[in-house]
Amino acid sequence: MVKKKNIFRSTGILLLILLVVLFSVFPFIQMLSTSLKYQWDWGNPSLIPTKINLEAYKELLNIGQAEKNIPDSIKNLLDENPELTTEQRKQILSKYASTGDVFPFMNYFRNSLLLSFSAAFLSLVLAVFGAYSFSRTKYRGRGVIQRGVLFVYMFGGIILLVPLFKLAVAVGLARTPSGSFLALLIIYIVQTLPVSLYMLGNYFRTIPLSIEESALMEGCSRFGTIWRIIIPLSISAIVTVFIYSFMIAWNEYLYVSVFLKSYKDLYTLPIGLRALFVSKNAIWDRIMAASMLTAVPVVILFMTIQKNLISGMSAGGVKE
Amino acid sequence: MSIAVKTLSLKQREARFGRVLIAPAVIIIAALIFYPILYQMYMSFFDVKLLDRSVFVGFENYREILTDSSFWKAVFTTAVYVFFTVAGTTLTGLGVALLMNRDFPLRGLVRSLILLPYVAPVISVVYAWKQIFDPVNGIFMHLTVEKLHLFDERFNLIGSPDSALWIAIIFSIWKNFPFTYLMILSRLQAVDTSLYEAAEIDGAGGWQKFKAITLPEVYFVMGALILLRIIWNFFKFEDIYLLADNVKVLSIYTYFKAFVGTMELGTGAALAILQFSLLVLLILFYVKRVLKW
Repeated sequence: MVKKKNIFRSTGILLLILLVVLFSVFPFIQMLSTSLKYQWDWGNPSLIPTKINLEAYKELLNIGQAEKNIPDSIKNLLDENPELTTEQRKQILSKYASTGDVFPFMNYFRNSLLLSFSAAFLSLVLAVFGAYSFSRTKYRGRGVIQRGVLFVYMFGGIILLVPLFKLAVAVGLARTPSGSFLALLIIYIVQTLPVSLYMLGNYFRTIPLSIEESALMEGCSRFGTIWRIIIPLSISAIVTVFIYSFMIAWNEYLYVSVFLKSYKDLYTLPIGLRALFVSKNAIWDRIMAASMLTAVPVVILFMTIQKNLISGMSAGGVKE
Repeated sequence: MSIAVKTLSLKQREARFGRVLIAPAVIIIAALIFYPILYQMYMSFFDVKLLDRSVFVGFENYREILTDSSFWKAVFTTAVYVFFTVAGTTLTGLGVALLMNRDFPLRGLVRSLILLPYVAPVISVVYAWKQIFDPVNGIFMHLTVEKLHLFDERFNLIGSPDSALWIAIIFSIWKNFPFTYLMILSRLQAVDTSLYEAAEIDGAGGWQKFKAITLPEVYFVMGALILLRIIWNFFKFEDIYLLADNVKVLSIYTYFKAFVGTMELGTGAALAILQFSLLVLLILFYVKRVLKW
């Protein structure tokens, strides 16, 4: 009797677990499925495409796109009119060649990568020194500074957007494309800095002081001990903090949408994808393929640091 | 004597070294967080022109906002959004944490899979959600209209602000429950299992064990998680705007006022200050009345 009840119970629990997994991954399956479907297949509720269509991925990654955008009617026109000079032909073809970059995915990808990588790197450098100061040196006001940094948790996003944008305009940064890019970079550094400081500070405290002391005794300078001892010993935490900041910058939309609004060439992936969605080029397979390609790097990065990040987050350092 | 002087100077040198190391971080945070907050307060009393001189208007921005019924509607929408997302995220997180604390096959894989919603960039998942609820191609309409006959015809759930709000709430729960679940799970794993064994010997059932042992153990973690979730979701912008920009919570309301169309930055600044003050009130209420700290 007891055994029977247990079987019911454990199958019930397995079903629940299945439900949770389904709830979590269904949108991703939907995304993958649609990105591989032909247009005539979109209305088909089945998740398995009737016929696999890799066109959207090829288009985004710019594989074999040279001739594809020329409509058949134009090709016919050219074939039927051999009297056209090569010059005229080129002119006609060039009109269609430019539509190849309706969605310059690779360009956006590069911008995102550049912005996120530099923001994460600079934030990390500041955080390593700051966290060392928090965990290894004593001075008056340290506690206040530590709490003040945590207080910054409360401010972000929409709350700071208005004054930061006005200031960026006032000092002239927002008036040029590169200035706007730089302004965004600095903002991302600040937004990720508190978490990086907190997580690294916690980690540095776990490194035994004695190792450092013996290095100092050997004549190593303070900066030398940071470089030769603290950084190598906490490399996993450093990688974690780096990737965490990277992900925040990679995902950010609000500030990009205000600062880079009129600079299409500098669009990052989030704002580029949004622009694609509201444009007339919005077709589901292309959007879903772009979504997949945006998500994949982040998911891979996350999976590589999963263990460290989770323990870091449990220790209290996280920000959305 | 000379030794005392030397230690003092060592200490001073140490202090200076510490200050130098933290200085860049402090300066950049002061310049880009604390200064802008003060500047925002200042701006909220002006009719701010982006490139021109701003005109002092006193409390006019505040008066305009507080007498605008669409502002109060945004406050209400935000309240509904925050309440249901926080409750939903916390309860789902707790439930999933209890499930994942058991032994079952493929547990490692399952734990990684259910982190995906939290990890993937918002921008990359909103369109999948939009497609699920799409009136023409969406699977949700297919299920509810053609299969279950709940509605007579297909319609756009995200198109109307009232129903879109609920989609945004479900989306937020989906996106954020993994974080809550992780935090609660790490607390659950620290619970001494002998407590449960002792309770079983005393004849306690599953519910009694949960109430007497599990709940008190995770109470503080949950209190802190709820507090954080309130703060985050109160300011939430991307998760709502990208999915359904017709759901006018305060963040989106401010965004439209300040950055779309006529760009009323002064009003935007005043709105941000009001939003922040509301949050502080909410936190005080929560900490004093609910957590009783």
